[in-house]
Amino acid sequence: MSSIRALTAELAARSDESLRGLFTARPDLLQPPVPDFAALAARSCARVSVQRALETLDEPALQVLEAVHLTTDEDAGRSASSRSLKPLIAGSSLTALDSILKKLQALALLYRAGTSAPASYYPVSTLKEVIGLYPAGLGRRYAELVRAQPAFAERSVALVAQLAAAGHPLAAASSPAEAADALEEWLRSGGALEPLLAGAPPKTVDLLRRFSSWAVGALPNAQRIVSFSDSAEQSPVDWLLARGLLVPLDSEHVELPFGVGVGLRGAIVTDFRLTPPRAELAFTRASLRRNAALGSIAETLRLLTDLVQLVRAAPLATLRAGGVGVRELRRLSDGLRIEPQAAAVLLEIAALAGLLRLDVDTSHWVAEDDEWRGLPRPEQWLWVVAAWLGSDRAPSLVGEPLPAVRSGAPATINPLAGEAQRPDAPLIRLKTLGLMRELTEEAGGDAATAPVLTAEAVLARAEWSNPRLLRRFRRLVPGILAEAELLGLTGSGALTPAGLAVAEGDGSRARSLLEESLPAAVDRVLLQADLTAVAPGYLAPELSNELLTLADAEGQGPATIYRFSAASIRRALDAGRDAASILDFLGRHAATAIPQPLAYLVEDTASRYGRLHVGAAGSYLAGDDEAALAELLHHPRSAQLGLRRLAPTVLIARAASREVAAVLRELGHSPALEDGEEQLLRLRRPAAAAALRDGEEQLLRLRRPAAAAALRPSLQAAGPRVPDDESVAAQLAVLRSRPAVSPASAEGGPQLGIETLRRAIRQKKEVRMRIVDGQGNHRQEVLVPLAVAGGRVRVFDPRRDTERVVSVHRVMDVELIDEQPGN
Amino acid sequence: MNDGPLIVQSDKTILLEVDHDLATEARHAIAAFAELERAPEHVHSYRLTPLGLWNARAAGLDAEQVLDTLLKYSRFPVPHALLIDIEETMSRYGRLRLEKDPQHGLVMRTDDYPVLEEVIRAKKIQPLLGPRIDGETVVVHSSQRGQLKQLLLKIGWPAEDLAGFVDGQPHPIALNEDGWALRPYQKVATENFWAGGSGVVVLPCGAGKTLVGAAAMATSSTTTLILVTNTVSARQWKDELLKRTSLTEEEIGEYSGAVKEIRPVTIATYQVLTMKRGGLYPHLELLDANDWGLILYDEVHLLPAPIFRMTADLQARRRLGLTATLVREDGREGEVFSLIGPKRYDAPWKDIEAQGYIAPADCVEVRVDLPKDERVAYAMAEDADKYRLCATSETKSGVVEQLVRQHAGEQLLVIGQYIDQLDEIGERLDAPVIKGETSVKQRQKLFDAFRAGEITTLVVSKVANFSIDLPEASVAIQVSGSFGSRQEEAQRLGRLLRPKQDGRAARFYTLVARDTLDQDFAAKRQRFLAEQGYAYTILDAKDIKPAA
Repeated sequence: MSSIRALTAELAARSDESLRGLFTARPDLLQPPVPDFAALAARSCARVSVQRALETLDEPALQVLEAVHLTTDEDAGRSASSRSLKPLIAGSSLTALDSILKKLQALALLYRAGTSAPASYYPVSTLKEVIGLYPAGLGRRYAELVRAQPAFAERSVALVAQLAAAGHPLAAASSPAEAADALEEWLRSGGALEPLLAGAPPKTVDLLRRFSSWAVGALPNAQRIVSFSDSAEQSPVDWLLARGLLVPLDSEHVELPFGVGVGLRGAIVTDFRLTPPRAELAFTRASLRRNAALGSIAETLRLLTDLVQLVRAAPLATLRAGGVGVRELRRLSDGLRIEPQAAAVLLEIAALAGLLRLDVDTSHWVAEDDEWRGLPRPEQWLWVVAAWLGSDRAPSLVGEPLPAVRSGAPATINPLAGEAQRPDAPLIRLKTLGLMRELTEEAGGDAATAPVLTAEAVLARAEWSNPRLLRRFRRLVPGILAEAELLGLTGSGALTPAGLAVAEGDGSRARSLLEESLPAAVDRVLLQADLTAVAPGYLAPELSNELLTLADAEGQGPATIYRFSAASIRRALDAGRDAASILDFLGRHAATAIPQPLAYLVEDTASRYGRLHVGAAGSYLAGDDEAALAELLHHPRSAQLGLRRLAPTVLIARAASREVAAVLRELGHSPALEDGEEQLLRLRRPAAAAALRDGEEQLLRLRRPAAAAALRPSLQAAGPRVPDDESVAAQLAVLRSRPAVSPASAEGGPQLGIETLRRAIRQKKEVRMRIVDGQGNHRQEVLVPLAVAGGRVRVFDPRRDTERVVSVHRVMDVELIDEQPGN
Repeated sequence: MNDGPLIVQSDKTILLEVDHDLATEARHAIAAFAELERAPEHVHSYRLTPLGLWNARAAGLDAEQVLDTLLKYSRFPVPHALLIDIEETMSRYGRLRLEKDPQHGLVMRTDDYPVLEEVIRAKKIQPLLGPRIDGETVVVHSSQRGQLKQLLLKIGWPAEDLAGFVDGQPHPIALNEDGWALRPYQKVATENFWAGGSGVVVLPCGAGKTLVGAAAMATSSTTTLILVTNTVSARQWKDELLKRTSLTEEEIGEYSGAVKEIRPVTIATYQVLTMKRGGLYPHLELLDANDWGLILYDEVHLLPAPIFRMTADLQARRRLGLTATLVREDGREGEVFSLIGPKRYDAPWKDIEAQGYIAPADCVEVRVDLPKDERVAYAMAEDADKYRLCATSETKSGVVEQLVRQHAGEQLLVIGQYIDQLDEIGERLDAPVIKGETSVKQRQKLFDAFRAGEITTLVVSKVANFSIDLPEASVAIQVSGSFGSRQEEAQRLGRLLRPKQDGRAARFYTLVARDTLDQDFAAKRQRFLAEQGYAYTILDAKDIKPAA
């Protein structure tokens, strides 16, 4: 029976509770909702879905699944049960295997082979494609190798004869397929390898040991010609090749066949561990952890604020290839006084937290509104952490080398470039935090110590808990740990209480933990005679903004030193402050009196400010005749020109020179236009454009707060995507209301068809296919399918004796010819 | 959260809030490993440097103690990277040790085999080493002891010198504590130095460095070579030693340009030692003329480079450096550390001042408006002449007169750089001028008269900056200075910091021409002085009260 049909029946028979479990474990089955059980079964057999399901399996479950896959054959009616698996999985017990098998069945990766006890199972058919070429690290069977390697097939018959002649119990073979069967049979009997290896050259066993975890090895000149001789001078490799214990794949690789691998191991799985290996962790002091984490949180938030400030002052240009270039990065790192690499990570975090936004009109990264800046620090922190958790960016990948493009210079990943996008980052991040939590809880220790989590420890645990994700863990975990340290989820390498709360998805607890330990903003500064103001701690944003107008910030750390200078005071005067308001502001916020030199500086600078005045004018009017100018100034007609007198012989006008000239001519003067007139005229246009842009900006600003509020990240949103109860209930209601298999099942059809095709290919049987041609006409044909892949099926047409390719979407239905209907 | 007085910044500075209850306690705790950088009125800032940390290691502190101190007194979390950096830096000191081996002589030893491997592979160090004895020990050519220490410091593995010292030729010297006694901090400084065998004692001007030197000589009781900056200073050392110790005139020799005496205690100037003739230093033999048991370096921060080279060869003798500051304008603090030795005692100026040994000083900057013609001349001058033009403005002379009248009856110095200006001021004030061409004898005479109160006003040029003792000067007026050097500023103030009998604050006036380069330099000076914790006020020339 087809696996989808069997699964459909099985799923329909399950309880609501069990289905709920399935939906929680494989949420992709519900997206979008399915119409009936057949569709559900088809979807749970889909390649991508099975792949996702495998990624959630831990090491023992995957090992069992691999063993099931290796020992079952639905066509031959061979299923697997805990009893059949136990000898193949060293160190396993029947109860453990039973519970794992049940779990795999609950995940819809296995289905029962029949109703009789003891329970035995088949894997879903797509597992073969998903699980990979070398499940459990074992090679392919001889039968497959003979099909895939013509060179080996050629000598297989001779090989069997030679082995038999050497006294090994092999059945005689006349074709490669028979030879493969003979070899397989010989090895399956067990104990076949021992007498053979007894005569092997020294170090052969050592060599074979290298294949203990993976079936393929690199070997130069693998397709060498070797002779079946028993001479002791033969090298171990030659000896093995000569006896077919290693099969050359190409000129550089050899494979250890399945039977040999199992024979050597004595089982399929030899490292079966029901519980994860215990991690050996170093410990740090809890006080150090707290110090490091809080220090790092304060520092990161400070740097983020400064970074947004820098971007607000000058938006970041993007490169044509995407991302922010090294020059802009250098500007940021200089402004923040940190290393470029650190600045890049920070920039990524600012962007993923939505503090920066890509302006699509200018292709510049610009600063977002100040909502974040105005929040209390624990809120700011939670905002960033939640955004980080849910982000598909991997900040720490920035700066890593890219695979060389053509022969060009080695390129690296630019900040904010597409190459640091990792769709699986949220999943890995969440799992990593979970593993960190697990490791921390296991390590124990007293309240004064905390276990240090290294990337190695996390990866070692990931290898057990999610072996199929290991490669992705390897790529991302070091970066995730570094970023967690940056965000204060870990301190000194150990998970902090706030980090633990985040790992558990409890944002409000994390925030309240932080509120206790992050001191509130200070609103007083210390003014000193060396013209500095020292803010002894985190300064309230509005206060620090004002101080930044009056003085230049220096220093790196929790306290900021603001240095006043004539230039900085002038800047404040430019911004519309005056001496009295500056001194008043300082007086209000100083914890001490204003030192005399500072007061002197402010007053001295202010008193000398404005010796020269600068202003804008459309044009000027100069003439020797003071009286004429005075007359003009008071003429009613000239009011529209916006004239002002600067000196007895100089007037300025708001209007442009040409307009002024026109009015003057009307009034009977004959003015001479001086140079620069063209420019003055042209100046008006950009001004108009700027006004237009201002209008747009305002519109945007009106719209933005709502958008920003919606964008505010939350821990819940960043958490694992578990379908909510409501949609599960709705789905269950739909499923229960329909027959298990509805004839119009849109989703189950193609899957079933492909499964039928695959079976026909395996069994080399003819099928009856209904195909739609280009004109929309249906046609029924009897064909022999040869291969199905990439949405197309290759078929052999026995009547025309030709091969052709048919698109799968043109195939309406498929039927195995010798299959009894209903079977 | 902790409510300590310290804020540890990630740029390796430590801010200390002075008004905090625990400030004094914290100050003492961090003084051992951090250098005081600025000390304005409310928040002092200290800097963590590798040298400072190694100094602390040399004084027996370990990283754990330093970290604990920081964590204990810090108000906010201490940047974790900084903690790691401190630990790493401190662990580097003393991994290599110079020791005396009974069989092989001077050897370098380590417990950390890879460090030795790294070091002996350094190109510059290889030639200084002899054969390898075992994995952890290598012979050092004893003549290269100093150079090796210097190079090791440069590559970041400062060696601890445990090879000991030669005893030198004994010569009885005793302190003559008659009507005076060593102050407690002087005693501590001497003891610390003696325990370490070589090193630097940092004391502010006027805190009695000479006495620390004398006490060290008494403890050592061996022949001693004293290196000082100039002849005047040499004479003062001699006077002081005659007054404070059992040494007699015959036992003290002077080795300078004028006289070349070698006695059990010999005072030599840097200048004569570094004099070069035909590519050779003819007076270098002085260093070997006697089996010196102790070598004293006065004003270590001014030690000229050739002396460093000579000192490198004197590593087997006890060495004491005396200075007011470890900051060197040329940034060679590392050589002082490796060749003379680690800091053995340090007292921040303000601390000693608070103990009443030094008079506090008020700094006043007087802004002078240039007359219109001078402003025009200044605006049109070449860059090279600009500073001279504004610094020597005529209006300054008038203001000086006004100030002198205001402080009539007080001991007053006028300090300047340009001789013409000083001559003019001298004339207007009818006061003697001391400049480069004034003979030593004449100088001494004038100084003595000033000290005795016979003269109340002296006009001095740069020569007065270093190592002279003017105990009764209570007012100084600086009319021009050389480009706002920190060193010069500290020295000049040092002149005024001598304890005064009536306990009045000394006053330091600086005359500054408004809107000129002079004002830019003044801004730097202001920052430096305010950072040193001096009260600082700025006045306009017109606000100076006319003499009462």
